[in-house]
Amino acid sequence: MCCSSSIERDKALMGAPEAFDISAVKGMKFFDPHVHMTSRTTDDYQAMADAGVVALIEPAFWLGQPRTGLDSFRDYYSSLIGWERFRSSQFGIKHYCTIGLNSREANNESLAEQVMEILPLFIYKEGVVGVGEIGFDDQTAAEEKYYRLQLQLAKEAGLPVQVHTPHRDKKKGTQRSMDIALEHGLDPYSVIIDHNNEETVKEVLDRGFWAAFTIYPFTKMGNERMVEIVKQYGAERIMVNSAADWGISDPLAVPKTAALMKMRGLSDQDIELVTYRNAITAFAQSGQLDEADFDAQKNVDLTEKFEGNTILRGGQQPRTDKSSIIIS
Amino acid sequence: MRDDHMKAVKEIIASTVKNNISVEAEKWLEDFIQSTDKSAQLAKVFVMLPRKTGKLPVAINNDQQEVLHAAGFGYIRNWTIDRLSRVWLLAGFDLGDKERLFSTINPLFLSAEVNEAVALYSALPFLAHPEIWVKRCAEGIRSNIGSVLEAIMENNPYPSENLDEAAWNQLVLKAFFTEKNINLIIGLDKRANLDLALTLIDYAKERWAAGRKVNPQLWRLVGKFINAEIFDNLKVGLQRYDQIEQRAIALAVSQSDYQPAKDYINTFPELKLALSEGNLNWDSF
Ligand SMILES: [Zn+2]
Repeated sequence: MCCSSSIERDKALMGAPEAFDISAVKGMKFFDPHVHMTSRTTDDYQAMADAGVVALIEPAFWLGQPRTGLDSFRDYYSSLIGWERFRSSQFGIKHYCTIGLNSREANNESLAEQVMEILPLFIYKEGVVGVGEIGFDDQTAAEEKYYRLQLQLAKEAGLPVQVHTPHRDKKKGTQRSMDIALEHGLDPYSVIIDHNNEETVKEVLDRGFWAAFTIYPFTKMGNERMVEIVKQYGAERIMVNSAADWGISDPLAVPKTAALMKMRGLSDQDIELVTYRNAITAFAQSGQLDEADFDAQKNVDLTEKFEGNTILRGGQQPRTDKSSIIIS
Repeated sequence: MRDDHMKAVKEIIASTVKNNISVEAEKWLEDFIQSTDKSAQLAKVFVMLPRKTGKLPVAINNDQQEVLHAAGFGYIRNWTIDRLSRVWLLAGFDLGDKERLFSTINPLFLSAEVNEAVALYSALPFLAHPEIWVKRCAEGIRSNIGSVLEAIMENNPYPSENLDEAAWNQLVLKAFFTEKNINLIIGLDKRANLDLALTLIDYAKERWAAGRKVNPQLWRLVGKFINAEIFDNLKVGLQRYDQIEQRAIALAVSQSDYQPAKDYINTFPELKLALSEGNLNWDSF
């Protein structure tokens, strides 16, 4: 979500650009449990693969503008488990998703009603590792209604829940999200509360939930703050994601944060937990996520399928040489 | 001819499914078969199926494999159990009424994830009322997902038996574009046609202009239709002196009745020799 401030001011805030030195975390594997690849390019996939991202979760979200009919929800959900999963596989990255009706669009009640009817068909599909991202945006009554209905659905399906917490009035929104999840009898260990900050993290962890942090420029968290949080709270039940989407965001947020953690002296073990292992542990509760699939993805698709496939046109090679001025 | 085999094939598929899944999964499927509102439940059962059957490669016994092979379905041995079970589920689904069958199965295509789509297109040769799935199959050819295209193009008898010429030609052309295994397209030689040959020649010319190679299998679809115009293009291809391409063109010419082209090939001693030795065939490319 981009802010309303002008580009000029942002530039001033950005300071001098600093190159991302991947060498600090060379050879490490990363899992980005929240990234909206639908809004990203194939170049991003390539950069993520190069930086060590081996798997990701794409939560169902909105499209930057509201959808006006059921079919566009259906098409979007289908693309998350179809085209987007395939596109990711072309870069050796295992793509999972969570499926849900996002909070903003819960406010269009007549449409939300229809979406609820098709959700059961999608949440049982292969590689759907949770119901998400759901929760509050404006904290309206309609948002609460569909949040509750979807928590119920997740409970029936035995799936983890990925909860989006609001930008505005975040602390109360986060508390309310957790209260309601507990009211519906969900085990906090199956609920991932996202977009945390210094103000929310303690309560989320104390109550037994997973605390996810979104490293997102200008809003949400910066990764220097993230380093301090892990120093203070440890690595248990904490995970880092990029939530990269249509806004000014960074699909390399997870490996970059790992690199920064390394430079700031965090242990390899803690870095691995917050940028890889914890997300796997949390979402594997769906029964739809298996670490062995990451390697299978690398082997199968890079060697056998790369050539025959179709983000690649006939004869095109899977990778272009970006440093060359000649494009052939 | 295939109809005679179809009953045996379906029986083998049914017993293979049974042999490859747990008792619990079998019971779950049985409950579905016995239920009174099968159409309403099909979507959910179809989607959830891998959770019940697992996804291991199927084991088929040798006798059954022989029958499948003879009927043209030997490739099933390379499937996973979830794919076979899904195909079995759909193959057994006949409500008698064409429209109801269509309105029950067609929505599965609309919300299919990759493995579901692969199973759906793999099921086409087994579905009742083959004629109602023609448009769906043609739509599938427009997919950009490799494994979905493979399910339609490779080892699938449905397209050659049911598609109209335009859709069939599109399938073949797209198979070349997306570098599928052309040898695995069923009915390839039988459905060769002049329009397709001319389109493929244009495609070959584009490849040449871009300095790229042409899949030698392309010439297999051209041989029967060589005329003066095509011959001019073949000459260009031969002058590129790519040995594999030359040999493929020579083989295509040997299968045509167009004498000027035959005479021209004879001016290349090594091609003349290769043809006279008789060891050029389409499997060798
Ligand atoms: Zn998000």
